[in-house]
Amino acid sequence: MGEILTGGVIEMLRKETVKNQEHMKPILQVTEMKKFTSHQEPSNERIRVLLSDGTAFIQGMLGVALNPLVNDGLLQTGSILRLDRFLCSDIQNKKIVVVTEVEVITTKADIIGNHVRARKASDQSGGESSNKSNATSGFEQHGRSDVTSTGGRQVNNTEIGTSYVGQQRPQLYGSGSGSSFEQSARSDLSGGHQINTGTSHAAIPPQQRPQVYGSGSSFEQNGRSGSNQINTGTSHAAIPPQQRQQVYGSGSSVAGSAPSARSYSNPPTTYPPQRQQQPPMYQNRGPVARNEAPPRIIPINALNPYSGRWTIKARVTSKGDLRRYNNPRGDGKVFSFDLLDADGGEIRAACFNAVADQFFEQIVVGNLYLISRGSLRPAQKKYNHLPNDYEITLNNESTIEQCYEEDAAIPKNLYNFRSIGDIESMETDSIIDVIGIVSSISPTVSIMRKTGTETQKRSLQLKDMSGRSVEVTMWGNLCNAEGQQLQSLCDSGEFPVLTVKGARISEFNGKAVSTIGSSQLFVEPDLVEAQKLKEWFAREGRSAPFISISRELTGGGRVDVRKTISQIKDEKLGTSEKPDWITVNATIIYMKVDNFYYTACPLMNGDRQCNKKVTDNGDGTWRCEKCDKCVDECDYRYILQLQLQDHTGLTWVTAFQEAGEEIMGMPAKDLYYVKHEHMDEEKFEGIIRKVAFTKYLFKLKVKEETYGDEPTVKATVVKVEKINYGSDTRTVLEAIDKLRTENASSDAGNSGIGTSGTRDPSSSLERNQADQYENQGQYMGGSYRGSGSYGGGLPRQHVGGY
Amino acid sequence: MDTSSPSAFVNGSLMRRYIGQKVRTVVQVIGSDVGSVVGKSTDDLQIFVKGSPPTTPTTYLEVIGIAESENSIRAEVKTNFGNNFDPLNYNELCKLANGEFKHFFI
Repeated sequence: MGEILTGGVIEMLRKETVKNQEHMKPILQVTEMKKFTSHQEPSNERIRVLLSDGTAFIQGMLGVALNPLVNDGLLQTGSILRLDRFLCSDIQNKKIVVVTEVEVITTKADIIGNHVRARKASDQSGGESSNKSNATSGFEQHGRSDVTSTGGRQVNNTEIGTSYVGQQRPQLYGSGSGSSFEQSARSDLSGGHQINTGTSHAAIPPQQRPQVYGSGSSFEQNGRSGSNQINTGTSHAAIPPQQRQQVYGSGSSVAGSAPSARSYSNPPTTYPPQRQQQPPMYQNRGPVARNEAPPRIIPINALNPYSGRWTIKARVTSKGDLRRYNNPRGDGKVFSFDLLDADGGEIRAACFNAVADQFFEQIVVGNLYLISRGSLRPAQKKYNHLPNDYEITLNNESTIEQCYEEDAAIPKNLYNFRSIGDIESMETDSIIDVIGIVSSISPTVSIMRKTGTETQKRSLQLKDMSGRSVEVTMWGNLCNAEGQQLQSLCDSGEFPVLTVKGARISEFNGKAVSTIGSSQLFVEPDLVEAQKLKEWFAREGRSAPFISISRELTGGGRVDVRKTISQIKDEKLGTSEKPDWITVNATIIYMKVDNFYYTACPLMNGDRQCNKKVTDNGDGTWRCEKCDKCVDECDYRYILQLQLQDHTGLTWVTAFQEAGEEIMGMPAKDLYYVKHEHMDEEKFEGIIRKVAFTKYLFKLKVKEETYGDEPTVKATVVKVEKINYGSDTRTVLEAIDKLRTENASSDAGNSGIGTSGTRDPSSSLERNQADQYENQGQYMGGSYRGSGSYGGGLPRQHVGGY
Repeated sequence: MDTSSPSAFVNGSLMRRYIGQKVRTVVQVIGSDVGSVVGKSTDDLQIFVKGSPPTTPTTYLEVIGIAESENSIRAEVKTNFGNNFDPLNYNELCKLANGEFKHFFI
């Protein structure tokens, strides 16, 4: 009877060789049928069918016009039809044949194909009922869980137990053509027979609950109590009554735990056909036929919570630890791992509790796995930095099977490298990947966290072709493993390439890169970029100068933020949690002479001088509280209170030793001697006077501090620089341009140079400004013209004071 | 300050606007002759400065005088601007002073 059906046509439908009746009118048999009502058209009943060509299956839908045929009994399960009008299309990645016209060749017929034998083996009733019952199981869910309890059968996608209704639950599994049956759950069937098409025989005593799985199909099923499942393929009957045996498709790497109530489903569809031998879990079962059907893998990027049964083939790019947690709902453990597939899609998968136990050992970074059936939920962006909106949660029904065959299409890791130069402009706290040459690395230090725990920290300098270098800090374990490796490489004179995946940009003296829990470091990776970097470095990078975007602590670095003095107040600088670091171009108007220094402790504390104020013991010695020692000679350090002015306003700042020396032109000790030891008032005054009205570029640290009840904004001079008029002018020009573009959009008639509230609009002032531009470089012989700052109304004294 | 005869900031290309008027500009000295100096303006045009060259040769020279043509000035005051001078900045100044911010100047 088999010759009547158009053999091999299902394959053609899948391959799209045949799409509709124009190509041919195949003769197929309905092996399953199920009615349902779609929510879109509740008034219409729709009928789904499983069509067979004797060896393969495909899902189909009958057009409403055909409903009467079914209702009248002319078209039923087993019927052989010729499809007179049909269309095979791809719906949600599955091929569905929508049939609008048929000719029923035979209404009642035995199922052709492998089913036959299987049926005979089991009890007939089972067979038939299983035919019918399959109707449901045979259908692929389009994202719906197939819970139908037609006639006491339950097909679940979920854990067992819930849908278990105890009795005979025969389920017929689609055979070897595999692809059409993406079945989910077969829940436990006590004593049910599940007969798969194919060559499996049923002689399974109903009591036993062995499970036989079709070969090749990755039936990763865990024990299910009581379902006899016979898979297609050659499994057969002589299955010794082993309770809860699990037979797995070869290669399945699922741990053979057989908790009783698990429903599993998933004859995963894919199988690279190399399973020659019996799977290890397959004990005492006969050989199984291989399921040669092509795998139905979907790309990771296509996964969404409504995907229903899915399978992905991906490589594990990172694996987290098995973490224990405790939350109001109780204790638990979890581990997660990241996956990457051939299309570059990435997603994180997490397993909890028992599932975690099950899969933890199995997952190895770098291996390829076929993973099916988990639930999808929105990704927790806080912890999950992969570029996917969802994350997978594996559950009891999920299956993981290792692919031993390498797939070069799936890379080991996917990077989205940014150049170090870009980091400077990127937002803090964003997660990036970066690759560069390690130019230097420092040893690990132990840092005490605020929580009281100690942790390791190690930093290195990374350079790349953008001409910038950045400080990369690694924490915790990374210090010891990769950190040590890098250290030895650097010590031996090499400059290794390092890739950092998933690190955070932090703002700390400029921009720096910091590792987080899920970051990964790779030393000397095998990547094209690594090669290029090495070549570049050898060629020019080694000797080229690098601009560091992570300034060292002492530099008090930040990118040169130019402000005017009035902006300090206007913009409330320093009032936020962190101090503001700014640069101002200002003139020293006044300096307090009373306390221009303090007596400092000269003792060395590590590699730095203590510098704490020492108290006079009265007998010529000085006591330091911090070092708890007395010294005979103290050091004198500057503590200058200066009043600065620019064209917008005035402010007081404090300058310490280094800046002080630059401003005064001599060390504090010398000045102290002039005043106190030599008592040379005149000389002293002369020096002080010279300082007044000197103009510098001041780098200030502005921070609000609370003295008693009152918070005041205090500014400290971190660095003092002589003004380079050329570059200064350029900065101003840029500011002008910026203002111009702003004006263009906002139509505010701002007068250009030196924005922010110039209070002195007199033309002479502008003249001064103009002159400012002229007088660049050296002022020789009177070219100075008596101006020199933006300030209004400067007294004559400053002329020549430059 | 003596503002009786204000001079406009010009570079080479702006000089033609002020022919017959007092201007000031800075040139980079290319060569000098008896009675004149040949200079390159900040926008790379050639300017002739009539008047005796300054006693010491310098790289940059500021000239204030009457613009006789679009590329020559009869110098009244010449000032040595030294060797470190940024012509680009000056050029920008000239453009701003004659364009958008003209009202600030003359």
